[in-house]
Amino acid sequence: MRASVASLYQAVELHQEIPPLLIGERCNPNGSKAFKEALLSEDWDACLKVALDQEGRGAQVLDLCVAYAGRDEVADMMKLAQLFAGSCKAPLMFDSTSPATLEQVLPLYPGRAIINSINLEDGGANLERICRLAKKYGAAVVALTINREGMALTCEQKVAVAKDIYTLVVDQYGLRPEDILFDLLTFTVGSGDETMRDAATETLNAIKQVKEELPGVGFTLGVSNISFGLRPAARKVLNSVFLRLAVEAGLNTAIVDAAKVLPYAAISEADREICLDLLFNRHPEALMTFIDHYEQAVDQEDNEDSDSLPVEELLRQKVLSGDKDGLNDLLSALRGRWQPLDIINNLLVPAMREVGELFGRGDLLLPFVLQSAEVMKQSVTLLEPYMEKLDDDGKTSILLATVAGDVHDIGKNLVDIILTNNGYKVHNIGIKVPAEEIIAKAKELQVDVVGLSGLLVKSALLMKDNLSQFQTVGLTQPVLLGGAALTTKFVAVDCAPNYQEPVVYCADAFAGLKAIREFEAGKLLSTQWEESSVTKNRPSPQQEVLDRSFEPPVVPFVGHRLVTDIDVEKVFSYLNTAALFRGRWGYRRGKMSKEDYAELNTNTVLPLFRRLKDQLVNEGWLQPKVTYGYFDCVSEGDSLLISSDSGEKTFSFPRQENAPGLCIADYFRNGAEGGDKVGFFVVTLGKQLAERTKQLYEADSYHDYLMLHGLGVELTDALAEYWHEKMRIEMGIQQERGSMDAYVAQGYQGSRYGFGYPACPDLGAHEPLFEMLHPEEIGVVLTESFEMVPEMSTSAIIVHHPQAKYFAV
Amino acid sequence: MRYICTCCGYIYDPDNGDEMNKIPPGVEFDDLPESWVCPLCYAEFDKFDPLD
Repeated sequence: MRASVASLYQAVELHQEIPPLLIGERCNPNGSKAFKEALLSEDWDACLKVALDQEGRGAQVLDLCVAYAGRDEVADMMKLAQLFAGSCKAPLMFDSTSPATLEQVLPLYPGRAIINSINLEDGGANLERICRLAKKYGAAVVALTINREGMALTCEQKVAVAKDIYTLVVDQYGLRPEDILFDLLTFTVGSGDETMRDAATETLNAIKQVKEELPGVGFTLGVSNISFGLRPAARKVLNSVFLRLAVEAGLNTAIVDAAKVLPYAAISEADREICLDLLFNRHPEALMTFIDHYEQAVDQEDNEDSDSLPVEELLRQKVLSGDKDGLNDLLSALRGRWQPLDIINNLLVPAMREVGELFGRGDLLLPFVLQSAEVMKQSVTLLEPYMEKLDDDGKTSILLATVAGDVHDIGKNLVDIILTNNGYKVHNIGIKVPAEEIIAKAKELQVDVVGLSGLLVKSALLMKDNLSQFQTVGLTQPVLLGGAALTTKFVAVDCAPNYQEPVVYCADAFAGLKAIREFEAGKLLSTQWEESSVTKNRPSPQQEVLDRSFEPPVVPFVGHRLVTDIDVEKVFSYLNTAALFRGRWGYRRGKMSKEDYAELNTNTVLPLFRRLKDQLVNEGWLQPKVTYGYFDCVSEGDSLLISSDSGEKTFSFPRQENAPGLCIADYFRNGAEGGDKVGFFVVTLGKQLAERTKQLYEADSYHDYLMLHGLGVELTDALAEYWHEKMRIEMGIQQERGSMDAYVAQGYQGSRYGFGYPACPDLGAHEPLFEMLHPEEIGVVLTESFEMVPEMSTSAIIVHHPQAKYFAV
Repeated sequence: MRYICTCCGYIYDPDNGDEMNKIPPGVEFDDLPESWVCPLCYAEFDKFDPLD
């Protein structure tokens, strides 16, 4: 029997009497705008319509791809495969390289499907998993000639990779030769790229050679790739001529838009010749002749899809939508028209400026901005090999540093990402950078602007000192300041007067971008503070008198204990999702309606959360550990005196200057009252997460970098929340587990105050704390400025007094 | 209408007011004094999202 595939309703032979078998390509969010919109809005009937339309236009097999950033591929594939299986006569081709997705969908399909696709990009691990599935469920497979070195460009490479795949698939995993459809890859001849002039010939020759050397195997090809970057009317003709040539060479199936295949007879002799000249690279002017010839051709179709748009506009849309698919092809098409530097300066940078403006108006959320920046970055990386040298001369350059004693780099790195991808030259010199080094680098690199970052309260004070040093040595660059502890007033009143050049407060990365643009326009001014500006509240518990009648709790032990067997799922259950999604991740509701925001959550935020959570849990990136303890203490003025096995420790706490004049020490009984009990903890997620996060940043995966970092920070707090609850229960001031909604608003007795936070900002307290709890035994150490490393760690003093709530000094 | 702090998850509910900032019940979010900040994390107005 001849190799066939089948749906619930019919079998279709892979080798048709009159080849090729047409495989409809439009059920793919990366190929069809209509399908993408239907998928994103979960309009399943509209998805089905795209499939049925293709059947109506002659597709004999339907490719189905649902992989799209932020979507749950498995769930979408299951949904649509079931729907299509019941409604489409044409057999399905499951377009996924994920073994997990295929594993779910194949047993469900009531027919013989095609898997699209396998390759050797990872050396063969996925290929093995997918071939075993193909064998088990009796599917055919499309095999792309890609290996560790990348996509096979020449005939020789294509044949070699095909043979490697054949050996594995047939000899090792037991599929039949006729179960394989080789896609030997084709690349555009429309880009003007000198190295790709013979792209069509290489593919055609490879088909002939593989057919001869590996008898029995079949072929498929994404035919329209041959004309990427050309005008739609021209593409239709060139694709049809190329398809004819490929079929003559041995192609038996083709992935196409069935509606756009012209019968060969309908193509005029003149048109054929012009196409053949280009495809066979018959003379140097073939491309120009081809383009000129079709210059006047009318694009008749009211193309719903992006391929009717000029390539310049396509690139703008790629940046705006943060979509990296097909970027390489698009850029090679653009390189046929523009110099690489012009593509960057005239197309990419303006598109990123537009992204910034959309963000500024609240029309684009931060995660999407980062995806746009990834498109920008990857475009520049792809263009770099074609540029003599990256011409940084004349670009405004910025030095970025996190100040001495501060290890936090997410804020600084976000500024780096935004500035770099808006076309500026950024020198990011890292964390904990002393003023002397900043000065030396600013002079050496002759930067135009200096940017300082820091999260800690202490860092804000240090920035002020740094500016005095800059003034003394005569630096001439404006200085931008950013960081959580800064305010407009502090920068304007305390920092700016110390330095003669402009000193500007930047509340976020885009404020930094705005400042750089003002600098270029000669309009950058120091941050101003009007005395009439409103002074913000410092909210406090409204308590005039502290209750002194309470008894100290009974503690389960005195001293410290380590806990290393903590259930990761349990930690997740204490996560503050509002702070994570809206705050850390930037999925703000903004101008959206309640319904639209709920949809964003369902379609984007929650799938992203599940993806990252699965990754963290399955790959063992979290090693939550705790060291905690209970100690005898007495309050004395603003201090707490604590007895521990490493001697008596003194923790001094600041007191609010204004009423009600709170101080943490007040919540404990003094010696005359009989002393008290206090708890402390240090919790950590371990060092793996920090390493993973760093890798993402270095790989320019900006979006995932911010997302994973934000999740890490909130999970650290979740672990702290979990442990605080555990300690309240141990002390008998709470009976059972409460709700996170209540915990967010301190709906419990007592309080945990983190060192470095507003009620006890002094990180120096970590020194005695570390002597008492020995966090080094759970892998947490202190820097010279008493910050904890790894970053995803936090500490607290646990106060049991019923009137203790958050306050700031 | 209720508003949520995007930094810490605190929810301002006009029915409850905000004791920490001495705001009595019945004050809408839009009518809070300019000096008002999140009672838990001190975030300013622009960090709040409408909830209802």
